[in-house]
Amino acid sequence: MYRTLPYTGLFAVTVLLQIFLFDNLSISIYLNPLIYIAFLALLPLDTPPVALLGAGLGLGVVMDYAMGAAGINTIATLLIAFLRPTLINLLYGHDNAKEGGIPSSSRMGNRTFIRYLALLTLIHHTVFFLLEALSWSHLPFTVLRIVVSTTVSTAFLWIIARIFNSKLPSRL
Amino acid sequence: MHKLFEFIRSVYVAVLFIVLEVIAISYYARSTYYTQARLLTRSNQVIGGVHSLFTGVHRYFSLGHENRQLTERVIQLEERLAQYEEAATAERLDSYLQDIGASKYHFATACVVANTVNRAQNLITLDRGRRDSIIPEMGVLSPDGAMAGYVVDCTDRYSVAMSVLNTSFRASGKLAGSEYYGSIYWDGHDQNVVILGDVSKYADPQPGEEVVTTGFSQYFPADVLIGWVESAEMNETRTAYTVRVRLAAEISRLNEVILVANRDLYEIRDLQQSDLIEQHTRLE
Repeated sequence: MYRTLPYTGLFAVTVLLQIFLFDNLSISIYLNPLIYIAFLALLPLDTPPVALLGAGLGLGVVMDYAMGAAGINTIATLLIAFLRPTLINLLYGHDNAKEGGIPSSSRMGNRTFIRYLALLTLIHHTVFFLLEALSWSHLPFTVLRIVVSTTVSTAFLWIIARIFNSKLPSRL
Repeated sequence: MHKLFEFIRSVYVAVLFIVLEVIAISYYARSTYYTQARLLTRSNQVIGGVHSLFTGVHRYFSLGHENRQLTERVIQLEERLAQYEEAATAERLDSYLQDIGASKYHFATACVVANTVNRAQNLITLDRGRRDSIIPEMGVLSPDGAMAGYVVDCTDRYSVAMSVLNTSFRASGKLAGSEYYGSIYWDGHDQNVVILGDVSKYADPQPGEEVVTTGFSQYFPADVLIGWVESAEMNETRTAYTVRVRLAAEISRLNEVILVANRDLYEIRDLQQSDLIEQHTRLE
């Protein structure tokens, strides 16, 4: 429970950044980074699966409410909340994950951490953009949106993770 | 029974996930652009204020651009005023014979507080609502008078409009100067291009030709500029043209908009749905 405050802060900051900054980026139709999943990605490694689902539900509902998206965010965040433990076990090992701690490049190794972030983002964005398009007819176009947005989101997630971890050096 | 509980306990996370996911998906499946607009109007009551703050700062920096646009518009109107003044003398006698009354269209202005262009269903949030006599189904025009969308829902202080860049948007358009019309919709690809579909094969649209609204849709007055023909191609069966139209309104730079309502819209609709009319359209 000792990390409640930093995580509440992270939740608020990522959600506010998404609503007021990233949702208003009108650079290109292909670029729609969804960085709010940083909150889910950075929860401690030993978070119980139920708590993860709860966090995914909360985050999804808040984002749906703010973006007026009627459920897409919830569907996508619930899925990554459910798959996160499996993903961590695959990439980082079951025993290592049990030790807990915040996911970071210093703990998991730079390559593993980036692969973890990229895969999580890819799953989320794939579900989100496919549901948003709701048709296979523009598939190449949707795939391009997924690839571009995933790349940019992963980069931002990595930066947010760096900032979040550097603020808590004693608690690592 | 005991074993059943044991089993449920071992898989309850997966079960919980499936239950929540099914609820979310069924809610999404039953949603329409209308429920999404409702959701956005509701959340705007909370975050609309902050959006207004950011928009205020943003508007300050685009004042120069807007000022230039306004000056250009003033010059245009001055020119037209001069023309009218000339014509007025000649028309004075005729005008005595006409019952002028109130104009058929009611105009209002509003500021854009939130706007997206990078989704498939883009919505525009405006800072005027029912209190300022904005009502659903008002047309939304850009400051220079080009089509930009129409209002879907209002609260007292805010309203949400469906942008032209929304795959659910439908309007009718025609090639200026001819009577060849088709339906306007967005294919979700390019934020500067909409499609004018089902134009007659005799129309022969040329690049650069103006596309304007017809009076059919009731949201917009007739002859509102939509954009210019960019390219046109025949469909496979060679019965109609599909025309790509470059939008006159720059949706991503929309700051202020003009709203226009047809005063007679509800009267026309009531008339169309009246019992007497229904008797003549009943299939028997």
